[in-house]
This record gives sequence, C-alpha cells and structure tokens, in this order.
Amino acid sequence: MTESDGRRCIYLDHGATSWPKPPEVIEAVVAAMTEQGANPGRGAYGMALAASRVVFEARGALARLLGVPDSRDLAFVSGCTEACNLMLKGLLAPGDRVVVSSMEHNAITRPLHLLAAAGLVIDVVEADPAGVVHAGDIERAVRAARTRAVICQHASNVTGAIQPIADVADIAHEHGALLLVDGAQGAGHLEVDLTALDVDAYAISGHKGLLGPQGVGLLYLRPGLDVTELMQGGTGGGSSEDESQPQGRPERYEAGTPNTPGIAGLGAAARLLFEHGDAWRAEEQMLFRELKEGLSALSGVRVLGPRPDEPSVPSLSLVSDRLDPDKIAFMLDRRYGIAVRSGLHCAPWAHRTIGTIGTGAVRFGLGHGNTRDDVLAAVSAVAEILS
Amino acid sequence: MTAEPRRFVVYGFASVHDALGAESALRDAGLAVTAIPSPRELGELCGVALRMDPALASAAEVVFASAGTTPRATAQIDDL
Repeated sequence: MTESDGRRCIYLDHGATSWPKPPEVIEAVVAAMTEQGANPGRGAYGMALAASRVVFEARGALARLLGVPDSRDLAFVSGCTEACNLMLKGLLAPGDRVVVSSMEHNAITRPLHLLAAAGLVIDVVEADPAGVVHAGDIERAVRAARTRAVICQHASNVTGAIQPIADVADIAHEHGALLLVDGAQGAGHLEVDLTALDVDAYAISGHKGLLGPQGVGLLYLRPGLDVTELMQGGTGGGSSEDESQPQGRPERYEAGTPNTPGIAGLGAAARLLFEHGDAWRAEEQMLFRELKEGLSALSGVRVLGPRPDEPSVPSLSLVSDRLDPDKIAFMLDRRYGIAVRSGLHCAPWAHRTIGTIGTGAVRFGLGHGNTRDDVLAAVSAVAEILS
Repeated sequence: MTAEPRRFVVYGFASVHDALGAESALRDAGLAVTAIPSPRELGELCGVALRMDPALASAAEVVFASAGTTPRATAQIDDL
C-alpha cells in the first residue's frame, strides 16, 4: 500500500483507524455522494427516499452483525467518543456512584472527569499489569456501595487485553447497576453479540475494526433504557410541530442531518464482515500472534499486555530499554515505511496501570489487509533499530 | 391529460425509520406500496407516509402486526 506521498506504507495503526478501507466501502461512500446525495428522512422524492433507504439498510446490516434484534436500538453518532459521551451524560447524575476500570480511554475518563466535578462519585478498579480487569475486583467494588453503573471497555487500545464483559454484566445486574461499555476496540476485531453480552449500553467506533469511514459510530442501548439525548433538533419525520424532541428510537438520538456517506460505507462494511468476518478475524489473530511472538523474542524489548497465547484483540504496545518509544516509531516510519503510534494513545489511565505513564509505548495494531510480509518486516525492522 | 384522482389508504408512522421498515415488510409480502410525502390528513406535515390501494388494507394490517410496525395514523385520501 502507498501513502499520498507515494511512499510504500506498511500500515500497523489499526488501533487508531483501519486502512485501507475495502473497495466496497469506498464505492458505497461515493454512491451516497453521487447517487443518493439528498438529505435522508427529509423528503419523499426519489433521491431523498434512496438516501433514507441507505441509512435504513445500513442500520439493519449493523443490527444483524452485532446481534441486535431491533435495529432501532442502534443510533448513528459521529463516532465512539460521542457514543461514550451520550451514554455517560445521558444516564449519570450528580450523586450517582460508578465503578470504572483503570484501563479506560479518554473518551470515558474525560466525560467522567466533568461529571465528577458536578458530583458524580467515581471508584476506579485497577486492572492487572497486563491490562486485564478481573471480574472479582469489579464485584468487590460494586458490593462496597450502591452503584448506578459499571463502566468497562471491551478491549484495551493499549495492550489489546479483552475484558470479561459478560461476567461483569452479570455482576452489575445482580447488584442493580447498569453496564456501560466502550467497545471501540471490540466490534469487528471480536465477534460481538450485544444481546448475548447483556450490556445496557455499548459504544462503537465505525472506522476501526468495523472498517467503515471515519466520522461515524454507533451507540447501542438496551430496549427500554431511558437515556437523555445530548442534542435536540430536526429529525425529519412526523411530529415536526412538536417543540420537544421525539422520544422514539432512533430519532431521539439523531438530531440533525446524518453523515449519510459515512453510514453508507459503514453499512457496506457490516455486510462484508457478516459474510467474511470469521475468516478475517482468524487471519488477523494468526498474524497477530506471530507478530507478538516475534517482538517478544527480541532482546531489549518488553511487550506489554497478555502473553501471545492469551486472548487479545490485535493491538500490542512495547517499550525498550535502549530507545524511547517516539524514536522507535519515527525510525520505523522514516527508514522502513512502517506506520505505528507512540505515546499514551489517549489512554493515560491505562499507561499508569501498566507502568508506562512516564515513557509511553509504541503500539502496533494489526487489522484487515495486513499480510505475513508486514509482520516479518515489522519484527525485522524493530530488531535492526534496537541492535 | 390529467389522471382522475383515485382513493387510497395512507399510513403514517412514528419515524421515517418505521415507515421504511413497514415499506420493506409490505414489499417482502408482495404488496404494492408507494412512499409519499406525509399528507395533512394524517395530522402531520413532515415525514414519509405509505400509500396503498384500499383493497390491500386488510393484508397490510396483517403485515404490520407481524412486523411490529404499527402505523401511528391511517386515513383515506384521493390522490393522483
């Protein structure tokens, strides 16, 4: 693959966003802009209906992929960050207490910081040094005091650790609490059945493991869960004369013109993943294990997170006692055309948990489209840089 | 040449999503349906309504029930 400047790029930053996008996704985005370019839900002429059907069908494809029986329970939003803000600010009030894992991304911790200033009580449950949150620790925290919600990611964007969401759901519900999940690194990289997971809210990125365009995401809300919307405004449908926001799903959470091209692309991606997801995930996991084993075997490298034989989404971070993470990332890019990300990955809590808050780390994220040659090149390049 | 108005049954829904869901279910059932701008007879001036031959109304209601898409309003209109 090549970047815009014509250089060859081995893209290993799927934890940030997937690239390249499947051709079907790009074609759907282009079609939405060239053939279905009207405003969905804002008219009943041919092209407006075509745009409306694009959104309707994309929602249905995503519901099928994610195990959601009624697609109205999936709201399109601008991305996982908006979804996290919506579920937190729409459900939590001053005086509520929440139990939250120490591995959360800023998409969770920053809204919580704001809510805490208004009186939200936050208890943090520490993950282990690999970044895994243990259900028993969550249970102890939930038992300690009345809890409105447990907040836990599905997988870590730093170590790739997969959290025991189904167990945490049982614990939360047993104690009358909600389970709110940041699924940014889960959907697509993991087979996600939201009904089986029994979560109350699940925030989804459209452009990472789901392979859609940037600028679109989803929030799943359990049927009947009353979450106050972040925004009010036009929804296109009936009852325009009402001054209050419609309370029906999905329009309650979709004020304003939606990102139709993004939704179209995400819908196309969902159809691809429904058909090929199992095979793609198996390939991804095989390559990721090879990458992790290869990097772990290098002298002077410490790979953070679960061992290669333990479950993980295909992202890992490493540090070296020979070179700072930013230097490693820079040399990988400039000398080898390998795209990785250094720093704190918008997750200072996670880096504090695993002991890298002072240095950061270099993250390698695999995804659809990566090859064995990419993995071998990455391991070889890191070995050379640190030799 | 101007066509003579005909009588139709029209259905209004809580949202465009619901209207399109109902349209899809009706088409899957082999029933002819046309999406139209919501007429004032439905009590709302925005959104999408579904227009059908009144002779299909009974069959449509069976489809709505099985699809879980209950119309919010129903009316008869004369339309072209």
